Amino acid sequence: MSVAKPHESAKQVNGWRARKFVADYGVYIALLLLLLAAAVLTPKLYEVNTIAVVMRQASQLGIVAIGQTLILLVAGLDLSIGGIFVMTSIVVADVTNGRDDLVIPAILIALALGALVGLGNGVLVTKRRVPPFVATLGMLVLVKGATQAYTRGVPGGFVPEVLGIVNQSWFVLSIPLLLWLGLNAVFMFVLGRTAYGRKVYAVGSNTEAARLSGISVDTIRISVYVLGSCLAVASGVVLTGYVGYVDRFIGTGLELDSIAAAIVGGTAFVGGRGGLLGTIAGVLLIQLLSTMALLMGLDIQVQFIIKGLVILGAVTLYSLANVEE
Amino acid sequence: MYRKLICGLFVVTLLLGASLVAIGQDDGAAGFEITQEMIDASPYLQSVLSRVDEVYDTSEFAKDPPYRIAFAAQGTSNAWSALMDAHAYWYVEHLGEDVVSEMLYGDAQAQADIQVPQVEDLLAQEPDALILVPMGAAALSAPVERAMMQGVPVVLCASAVETDNFVTEVGTNLFTVGANLAQWLIDTVGADGNFLMMTGIPGVTTSVIMEEGALAVFESQGIELLDNQPGFWSPAEGKKIMETWLAQHGDEIDGIWTGGAQMAQGIISAYEDAGMDIPPIAGGEQQNGFLRSAIEHGFPFYAWMYPNAMITVCLDAAIQILQGEPTSRFIDFIDTLPEARPFTDAQAEDYYMPSWSDDVHGPITMPDEKLAELGFLVEESG
Repeated sequence: MSVAKPHESAKQVNGWRARKFVADYGVYIALLLLLLAAAVLTPKLYEVNTIAVVMRQASQLGIVAIGQTLILLVAGLDLSIGGIFVMTSIVVADVTNGRDDLVIPAILIALALGALVGLGNGVLVTKRRVPPFVATLGMLVLVKGATQAYTRGVPGGFVPEVLGIVNQSWFVLSIPLLLWLGLNAVFMFVLGRTAYGRKVYAVGSNTEAARLSGISVDTIRISVYVLGSCLAVASGVVLTGYVGYVDRFIGTGLELDSIAAAIVGGTAFVGGRGGLLGTIAGVLLIQLLSTMALLMGLDIQVQFIIKGLVILGAVTLYSLANVEE
Repeated sequence: MYRKLICGLFVVTLLLGASLVAIGQDDGAAGFEITQEMIDASPYLQSVLSRVDEVYDTSEFAKDPPYRIAFAAQGTSNAWSALMDAHAYWYVEHLGEDVVSEMLYGDAQAQADIQVPQVEDLLAQEPDALILVPMGAAALSAPVERAMMQGVPVVLCASAVETDNFVTEVGTNLFTVGANLAQWLIDTVGADGNFLMMTGIPGVTTSVIMEEGALAVFESQGIELLDNQPGFWSPAEGKKIMETWLAQHGDEIDGIWTGGAQMAQGIISAYEDAGMDIPPIAGGEQQNGFLRSAIEHGFPFYAWMYPNAMITVCLDAAIQILQGEPTSRFIDFIDTLPEARPFTDAQAEDYYMPSWSDDVHGPITMPDEKLAELGFLVEESG
């Protein structure tokens, strides 16, 4: 944390404080402003059904954004999760072929495969020093290629009916929402209250300092990639139940949206700074923008432009605050 | 000179008129008619209508069999294209080695940037003809022109390119398809109904042209849509949008126009979750999963067909060209595959095949054994 120096004028200090405040709370302020705007522009957003839809859809992005945040905290990045969604969907349908009693084994197999992908990412990044972007992009292509080779381009099998439970809502609550909130609670505790969490931040803040203080940097990094992949599997299971059948394009775009949600929520691209509370706000911001744009009947191009502007605005804001720091 | 010009214009006008009448009779079953304003506003319509009665003199390409035919396919991207490939391999085998000695294959994985160099690679192998399923109208125009310059006749299959320099296109009038779907919705619900539109991928020719046709009909009858959004031919995206529409419009929705069965499945799923009755849907296909849901829920629908089996028509066209026979510049697959005509919920049971898996897009013209080999039969997938 920076401290104002004696020679800095009151004006400079106030400016710095203002920027710091916006950087720390910008996403929450933006969320609040968006909700206020929604009250005027799209009052439908406040109806129970709409809130349930928004929360259920946000959960799909939210679960995977938890993993992405963890990875960003160690100055990493994961593009391979797009492949993990498809792989999960194929494994669930292929192993169960519609049988409810095989759902648990199918999920376990998907988790094992997902962990293997995460391990591959982690090893490439730590042991082979491959930049995260390149390593996870390569893994994305590899996983997609492997799933295509396995299915010969035609995913088969049926999604078990029991997974349809992810589509049920009770008031605004749904299984995906409860899962998202539960996972957030667990990982907030891990990041904020455990030695492992402190090591994650330490590795992301200053790798060399972390190494010198006895932290096994590679182990932390690899474990975070494995966790990120397993969370992508969890999101993939939810998505598979949501769609109801195997879709080769399932989850397309969520890998980039998850990065955007974490960045907008204040997690630094260079690692070591940020957290899950901000990511929750980032996820809600992105989801609300999409839903509001749809409720307002805006063209898809306008929706993309708004989304892009919000991400660019957030990144600019954070970078300005960091420069001043 | 003026006399020749006037005679030429007269002939063109006659041909255009005849084409309009023919298309109006073939596809206008739902009461929809193409107007001059629509033609003026649509370069696609102008191109198709001008080619319907145009014949290409293919004598320059004539040669003795067997032929080596290059097939630049959409490739391993979804069940529709997998079945198109399967039809192609089966049909080549069916024709025999004395007709087609080799089929050179390119898998574009549904991406134009992969397909462009792939076409170059195929042309380097000096095929006798090129069958192309274009993944982008603009991106594939230059490769098509290069093929024609190289003396390789090009058959466009299932989609178009921006250049006019090819021998023939096998497909159907997508403007009319989109328009007919819209007209059916209006006829079923009434012009005072509240309609929604869910299109495919923005910018992709097939989706854009169908949307153009539908909007022309809605606008010509003064209908204002509740909303029009792209569903990216994805059931997940379709469902997300439909959930929001349901939250916004609820039971005010009287009918939905959609550009494909995948999105229709997402729409149905959203209605299932909401526990609401499904309104008429224009835009189903003979996709088994869609038909299974449609029969289960019993809602009115109008389905069109874009059969992957049209590749057999494309192969026939390529052979016809290589035999030097005059070839129509626009071949509507419905003329050769009569089972590919549109149908409604009244015929749903006839088109639903219990032995097919959900992702099979009919009609299928190859034997069941081929479907079984690919894992498309339910018995096989178990």
